[in-house]
Amino acid sequence: MLIAPALLFSGAFFFLPMALSLLWSFTDYNGLQPFTWAGLANYTDLLSDPVFLRACWNTVVFGVVTMTIGPLLGLLSALMLNQRIPARAFFRAVYFVPVTTSLVVVSTMWKMLLNDQGLLNKLIVAVGLQPHDWLSDPGTALYAVSAASIWQGFGFETVVFLAALQSLPSELYDASAVDGAGPIHQFWHITLPGLRPTMVFVYVVGIIGAFQAFDQVFVMTQGGPINSTTTVVYYLVQRFQALDLGHASATAYLLVLTLGLLSFIQLRLGKRFA
Amino acid sequence: MPSRRASTRRAVVRLAAPAALCVALSACSLIGTGSVEPPKAGTGKASGSVTVWDYYGSATPIKPAIAAFEKAHPEIKVNYQAYDYDTMQDKLSVSISSGSAPDLATADMTWVPTYAANGALADLSKISGGKVNGQPIEEQYTPGGLAAMSYQDHYVTALYDFDAYALYYRKDILDKKHLQVPKTWDELRSVSAAMAEDTNGDGKPDKYALQVLPDTFHYAQLLFQNGGAILSPDQSKAAFGSTAGVSALEYMKSLLTSGGGLYWGVEQGDSTGLPGIKDERIGMFLNGPYMMGVLKDGAKEQSGRWAVAPAPYSQQPGSYLGGTGLVIPTSAPNPSAAWVLAQFLLQPKQQELVYTKAGAAPATTAALASPVLSAPDPYFGGVSEFPVFRTAMSTASPFPYVASWPDIDTALTDAVTAVLINKATPGQALDKAASRVDSALAR
Amino acid sequence: MSRTSRPSPWRVALITILVVSCVVTLAPFAWTIATSLKRPEDVFAPGSGLIPHPATLAGYRDVFTLVPFGHYLRNSVVVSIAIVGCNVLFDTAAAYAFAKLEFPGKSVLFGLLLVTLMVPMQVNLIPLYRIMVELHGVSPHLGANTLSGVILPSAVQVFGIFLMRQFFASIPDSILEAARIDGAGELTILRRIVFPLAAPGIATLTIFTFLSAWNDFLWPLIVGGTDASRTLPVGLALLARKNTINWPDTMAGAVITALPMIVIFVAMQRRFIEGLTAGSGKDIQ
Repeated sequence: MLIAPALLFSGAFFFLPMALSLLWSFTDYNGLQPFTWAGLANYTDLLSDPVFLRACWNTVVFGVVTMTIGPLLGLLSALMLNQRIPARAFFRAVYFVPVTTSLVVVSTMWKMLLNDQGLLNKLIVAVGLQPHDWLSDPGTALYAVSAASIWQGFGFETVVFLAALQSLPSELYDASAVDGAGPIHQFWHITLPGLRPTMVFVYVVGIIGAFQAFDQVFVMTQGGPINSTTTVVYYLVQRFQALDLGHASATAYLLVLTLGLLSFIQLRLGKRFA
Repeated sequence: MPSRRASTRRAVVRLAAPAALCVALSACSLIGTGSVEPPKAGTGKASGSVTVWDYYGSATPIKPAIAAFEKAHPEIKVNYQAYDYDTMQDKLSVSISSGSAPDLATADMTWVPTYAANGALADLSKISGGKVNGQPIEEQYTPGGLAAMSYQDHYVTALYDFDAYALYYRKDILDKKHLQVPKTWDELRSVSAAMAEDTNGDGKPDKYALQVLPDTFHYAQLLFQNGGAILSPDQSKAAFGSTAGVSALEYMKSLLTSGGGLYWGVEQGDSTGLPGIKDERIGMFLNGPYMMGVLKDGAKEQSGRWAVAPAPYSQQPGSYLGGTGLVIPTSAPNPSAAWVLAQFLLQPKQQELVYTKAGAAPATTAALASPVLSAPDPYFGGVSEFPVFRTAMSTASPFPYVASWPDIDTALTDAVTAVLINKATPGQALDKAASRVDSALAR
Repeated sequence: MSRTSRPSPWRVALITILVVSCVVTLAPFAWTIATSLKRPEDVFAPGSGLIPHPATLAGYRDVFTLVPFGHYLRNSVVVSIAIVGCNVLFDTAAAYAFAKLEFPGKSVLFGLLLVTLMVPMQVNLIPLYRIMVELHGVSPHLGANTLSGVILPSAVQVFGIFLMRQFFASIPDSILEAARIDGAGELTILRRIVFPLAAPGIATLTIFTFLSAWNDFLWPLIVGGTDASRTLPVGLALLARKNTINWPDTMAGAVITALPMIVIFVAMQRRFIEGLTAGSGKDIQ
């Protein structure tokens, strides 16, 4: 009974739409005319489209970059904010501010920060180095987009880690302090194991979110230059805007398949280290 | 506890039963095995209510026309809905493909090919009977405008405002440096190089430069001027890989290498170039009539310094022709009343609002001749620059009507970008784009 | 000065890092506020720094006068409160079942729910919108163009179930066993033991569901259509005009939209601490 409402809502508003789009992924549906079956053609089309493959690679790079740096920054800030520091409530609120700002506003600001006349290049010139067009160079654009995402996202990770740190029973720390354990010993033997379920959550949710990156790409680079920042979901939305629902849906289910595997592995790893 | 559980279960059943019923009843419309009904041909007098979607935002020329329309047509009730340009395409696509479309909508001419090729737009030739406000449609538009409205021998949209490119330039700087307004490609290159300045010595111009936008619109203009085309006449193959296409891209690149052009990518944040216009990095640019409105609003301090001239060309004048079309979706509930409203919006008096409210260019020939548009404009030194765009429109051509237009647009943008940032030669880049376009057209 | 009150180098370093990162974090927000106070023609004017000169409240005036701001605000409040309420109730209940109860098919069900998180929402727009159109046919108060259409698909979020499940996972089973032996029912256990212990988690859930409901743009845009169901982000987007962005208006809208979220966050921060004192101590022994 406790899960009945959850199942009812997800049945009507998640599984039913998913079933429809899964069905369409095997058709040539355009949303208007009756569809005809296409078998696996949409999927094979995708796997032979160099732009789609490039989008997959970009998404993986984006995911790896944001998910190594983001949670690490989040954990560090949470640990700092969990100390006895002056004006703790103020600092916590400050770290939360980027999370409240919509991704579109954040991306717009970063675009201004990173363009050839932007603040970053002004600083670089001030210290005597060569300025760089971060977003118009295909070699750096994806990293520039990643930086903006990390900046916005690590506040989320900070808040989750902070909540988890605060629900760790203080008795454990008191007891180990009596046993003469130092802060580093405590971190490895109490804090980290205690944070394990939260870490599983942050990584599973974080990777799913990173693999669905769209808004920041849309605002900052529109997938360019030369597809260097096209992500899988950006590709999907382009198919969708062309009313090519077959390929759009197939893109989504290739993504789901990948994420399903990744999450399964992560959850298993989480259990292994229990 | 058991009683509570049972009642919860009952409640769940009570909620779920109608839901399940409704799902079963409408399975066809959900899954997509049914097709969208074409509208009935306009018989008798149109009446009832008509829903109109407008993407002009706070500068709308449509909203002020509604009250006058309702007074003139008391039998039709207008349900007006405002949207913003950036997000309306998603909303319109979802609604159109879910059978809950509006009766009349503004659509960017770059969206129209996809909608038309997927059968989402009603046949305006049929609904209108070939006439707009009592006159043949053919007399209301220029040949380019008519081509932009036609898909497979019928009209799918009525052009409401148009976009065709001319050359904006800083007249004060041009005069100060004793330069002539460029008329040919070679002149454009040499004049822009003479006008631009490199104040920080990094080898790239940073004052009064010619804005070079790496997009399909600007490349297409050079391609058309060079006698080239985007697709083959039967629209089955890419045609931009021709000599005309390659040399157009080579020319675009040479605008940068000559020292007069300033590369202006998406990352600059604003395709209008307004930030660069305000800090005077940009002294010349090729763009449509809507930029007159953007300048007057956004760069008031530069009043009197700008002028507009026909775009310089190599072999023949040419431009991309776009703008806003009024469309009636196939699934519109009341297409005949929608057409009554569309005709009202296309009357010269209402069309003038496109210029006065939105700062854009009305599309019908009657409106183009309106004295309001030819009135001296203090921003442009007491000259009316509008006739320049009227001329530009007469030689402009629309993008091809194919379902995969978005793919072609992306492929071309990628090719142009790659060449302008030195990642490929024009030949290589266009070959690669051509093979992408060919496979998209084959799908 | 006594030895103990002298700050250690470690603390000095810590506070320095905090202050520096504070500046980095707040700079873009400061830019947002500064831009919201400028005149549109000054935003990109050369040499116009961070400080608006002349400063004007015109951006804020536009937000309140050009669009029915009060109406959008009311819609946003209703939608967000409904979504937060539903999620706190339903997500927490389901998460507790997944974390602490045994029932057949548990891991398969949870896996299925996780899959819904992996489907990009853009691909579900058309099917979900069609469901809303059908619902609207059943009752004019449901589905497309109504607030219920905005609320329903977010009433249960797998993200929240997952978050809470991970919080419950860190509550020792022994406490629950002890309560069951004492004859407490599951609901009593939930109310008396689990909720207080999971208070920081619930506060986090509240913050994030509020945040996503408040900021959500794409779905409210698609499912809405009239001012009757437009939320703040969707409504404020109408301040834009074709081809140009009025930066002061947009940024004033962003500032006004962000304020309630910061207030909610600060309020929920208190719950973190209260949750701690209520949950720990006596119950565990």
